[in-house]
Amino acid sequence: MLFVEFRFFWFFLAVFAVYWSLRRNDSRKIWLLICSYIFYAAWNWKFVFLLMASSALDYVVGLMMTRSKTRGARRGWLIVSLCGNLGTLAFFKYCNFFISSAAALLEWLGLPASVHTLNIIIPVGVSFYTFHSMSYTIDVYRGKMRAVSSLLDVACFIGFFPQMVAGPIVRASAFLPQLRSLRKFSDVDVRGALVLFLTGFIKKACIADAVAPFADRYFAAPWNFTAASAWVGVLFYAIQIYCDFSGYTDMAIACARLLGYELPINFRFPYFAQNISDFWHRWHISLSSWLRDYLYIPLGGNRGPRWFTYRNIMITMLLGGLWHGGAWTFVIWGGLHGTALVLHREWVRLIEQRPQAHAIMRWLAWPLTVYWVCVAWIFFRAVDLPHALPALRSFVFFQSAGTEDLGTWMLWLVAVFAIVHWLNSLGWFSEWWRRAPTPAFAAGYGCAAAVVLLFVPPHYTPFIYFQF
Amino acid sequence: MAVHNRVAATDQARPEQDSGTRSFSSRVVCVATGFAALIATSALLHALFPPAIPAGVAAKLKFFTEHKNEFDTLFVGTSAIYYSVSPEIFDRTTRESGLPTRSFNFGIDAMHPPENFYVLEQILKTKPRNLKWVFLETADVQTKLHQELGTERAVYWHDWPRTALTLRKALDPRGGAKWYIKISRLWLARRDLATHLALFAKRFANVGRFDFLSSHRDRADTAESELGPKRDGYRLAGDAMSAENAASFQKRLAQEITGARPKQIDPYANEAYRNYARQIRQIGAEPFFVVTPLIFQSPISFRESPPGPLLAFNDGKTYPMLFDPKVRIDDAHLTREGAEEFTRLLAQEFVRRARRP
Repeated sequence: MLFVEFRFFWFFLAVFAVYWSLRRNDSRKIWLLICSYIFYAAWNWKFVFLLMASSALDYVVGLMMTRSKTRGARRGWLIVSLCGNLGTLAFFKYCNFFISSAAALLEWLGLPASVHTLNIIIPVGVSFYTFHSMSYTIDVYRGKMRAVSSLLDVACFIGFFPQMVAGPIVRASAFLPQLRSLRKFSDVDVRGALVLFLTGFIKKACIADAVAPFADRYFAAPWNFTAASAWVGVLFYAIQIYCDFSGYTDMAIACARLLGYELPINFRFPYFAQNISDFWHRWHISLSSWLRDYLYIPLGGNRGPRWFTYRNIMITMLLGGLWHGGAWTFVIWGGLHGTALVLHREWVRLIEQRPQAHAIMRWLAWPLTVYWVCVAWIFFRAVDLPHALPALRSFVFFQSAGTEDLGTWMLWLVAVFAIVHWLNSLGWFSEWWRRAPTPAFAAGYGCAAAVVLLFVPPHYTPFIYFQF
Repeated sequence: MAVHNRVAATDQARPEQDSGTRSFSSRVVCVATGFAALIATSALLHALFPPAIPAGVAAKLKFFTEHKNEFDTLFVGTSAIYYSVSPEIFDRTTRESGLPTRSFNFGIDAMHPPENFYVLEQILKTKPRNLKWVFLETADVQTKLHQELGTERAVYWHDWPRTALTLRKALDPRGGAKWYIKISRLWLARRDLATHLALFAKRFANVGRFDFLSSHRDRADTAESELGPKRDGYRLAGDAMSAENAASFQKRLAQEITGARPKQIDPYANEAYRNYARQIRQIGAEPFFVVTPLIFQSPISFRESPPGPLLAFNDGKTYPMLFDPKVRIDDAHLTREGAEEFTRLLAQEFVRRARRP
C-alpha cells in the first residue's frame, strides 16, 4: 500500500477516525499496532511475523539488559540483539551478494566454483525497521534510556506504519516517550500536517513519477543515448530520487503528525549544499546521524590522527552505501561520498589560511558539490557496473557512441524545478496558508488537491526506498 | 518543494489552534467543505478538459475524426479485428461483388466490452456523414483488466455508464439474481469492485490529464504505428505458430468442437449491443455483429432477436481454412494469409447479408 494510492486514503481515514475516538492510550496503541500490521500485510502478510519477531527480540533484550548486573552480561545481550537484527539483514539483503561476490573472487583466483544464489524476497523496509530496533537496544545498553516494560510500546515503535517501511529512521529515545502519554488532538497541527502531506504528494506523484520513466529509459541502456541525453537521464534521476524519498518522508511525517506523533526531519534542501559535508547534514539526515552515532563515533570518530578519522569516514560511508543494498554499485556510491568527505576535510585544512581561496570556492562549491553528487547517483541508479560506466563516460567526458535522444529540451524542466525549489528554500510558500480562516483553508485545500491530481500520472510507481 | 522544512521549523512555536476547529461540528463542516471543494473543482476541470485518451486509441480516433467522411464502413473490436481485417482486401472484395465500400479498421489491442462501447460512442459523436456499415466484434462484458496495458488505458473509459455496467456484471454475472445474492457476492467480487470504482474515481478526479511528460514520450511513436502501413488501421500480427503449439492447438480445437454448446452473450453485453445498434441506426448506418475465428467454438447468439446480422466465424467445421495452424498465430490471431482469407469471407458474407431484404 502506497501513500499515493486511493486505498491508502481510505485506510488512513479509518485509522485516524478510530484512533481519535478511542479514549485510552493503550487502546489507541493497540489500534495503531493492528493497523500497522495490516498496512505491512498489504504487501506480504508472511513478513509480519518477522516484524513481530524483531520487536519481541528487542523487547526481551532490553529487559534482560536492565536486569543484568554485569557489563559483560549486558554486552552479551547487546550482541544477541545485533546478531538477530544484522543477521536478518545479512540473510535477506546480502546473502546473494556475498555468494555471488565469493564466486566471482574464486573465479578471479582461478578456482571457478559452481554456486547457486538463493531465491530470497527482501522484506519491504527491513533496513529501516532493523535500524529502529537496534537504536533501542544500543541506547539501553549505553544507558541513554531505560528499557521499556511494555511490549506494546516496543512493537508500536518498530511497527509504526508511517515510518516503518522507508523511514525516517526514528530513535527509540525520541519516539518511545511519545507513546507513553495520551496524545491530544488539540495539540495537533492539522493544517501544517495537511500541507506537508500535499507537498509530499506533489513531490512523489507529480514530479518523481513523471520524470522516472525518462531516467529508467536512460539507465536501461545508457550506451544507446547521446551525451546530452546522459545529462537529462542523470539530472532527472537526481530530481526523482530527491522528490521520491523526501516526498515519502513528508507524507510519513504528516501522517504521524495527524496521529499526534512527531518524526524527525530527513531532508533540508540537500541540493543547495555548499560542500559534501553540508550535503550529508541535509540528505537522509536520520540515516547519516544514525551512522554517525552508532558507527562512526564508536569506531573512534575524529578522535585520533587524521588517517584514523579518514579511515572511519571511509568505513562509515562504505557501509552506508552497502546498507542500501547488496551490490557493488552501492559500495562505490558510498566510496565516492567517503572520498569526497575526506578530500573536503583536507581542502578545508589547506585553505584555512588562504582567504582568496575562500572567495573562489564560494562560487565553485555549490556546482562542484551537485556535480559530484550526480556522478555518485550514476552508480546508485545503475543496475550494475557495465551499465554505470557508459553513463559515467557520457556524463563526465561527453563521450557516447549512442544516437538516441532522450529529449534534451527537457533540461529546461530542471531549471524550473530548481527555481521552485529555491523559492521554497526562501520561504515563499511557507506560512501564508496559516493566515486563512479555517473554512477558507479547507476549501482552498480541496481545490488545490483537485488541481494537483491533474498532474499525477495514472499509474503508481513504488517508492525507490521501499527496496532498501 | 520542501515546505516541510518550514513547517517543521514552526514546530517550536506552533500557532494557536483556530477556534473554529475546536468543536466537533465545526471540524465536520471543515472536512465537508474540503471534500465539496475537491469534488466541485474536479467536476469543473472534468468539464473543461478532454479526457486523457491513451496514445493508441487517440491516434485512431484523431485520424478517423479528420477523415470521417471518407469512410462508409468501420470495424470496431479487439486485436482479433485489428490484426485480422484488412480494409484493402475487404474493399476490393466488396467492389468485385458490386457493393463497393471504403472501410477503416478501428481494432485496438484488448479493447473488449465495455471499453469498445466507450470508443464507439466517441466515434458516433463525430457524426460521420457517410457511414453505412459498422461491424462490432461481439463478446461478453469483461470485468477483469489486462494489467500489462497499464492504468492510463484502463482509466479513460471508466465513465459512470461503463463503470456501472462492469459493476453490475461483477455482482451478478448471469443477470436476474435476487438482491441478497448480489449482496453475498460483494465479498467475492471485492477486488473487481474496488478496482473499477478506483478507476472511476481517478477518471472523475482527472488523474493524469496533464501528465504531459508521459504524453510526449508515447504519442509521437504510437500514432503512426497504430494506423498501420496503409493508414487504414490494419496491421499484421506475426508469423504462424510453432509445430509444438500447432499440435496443442489442434488438440484443443478438437475438444472445443466436440464440447461446443450454444451460448448466449451475457445480459449486460446484450443490452449494450442493442443500445448501440439503435444509436448506429440513428446516424443512418447499419450494425453488423462479428464473432472472429476464435478457438472458442460454441455458437454465440443474442438473447431474444439479434439487434442486427450476426456473422460468426468461430466454427472450425464451416471455416476449416481459418483454423489451419499454418494460418494461425495463436488461439485468437491470424497470420497474413489467414487475415486475408478471413477478410474475404467476411466481405462475402457481408455482401450476401446486406443484399438480403
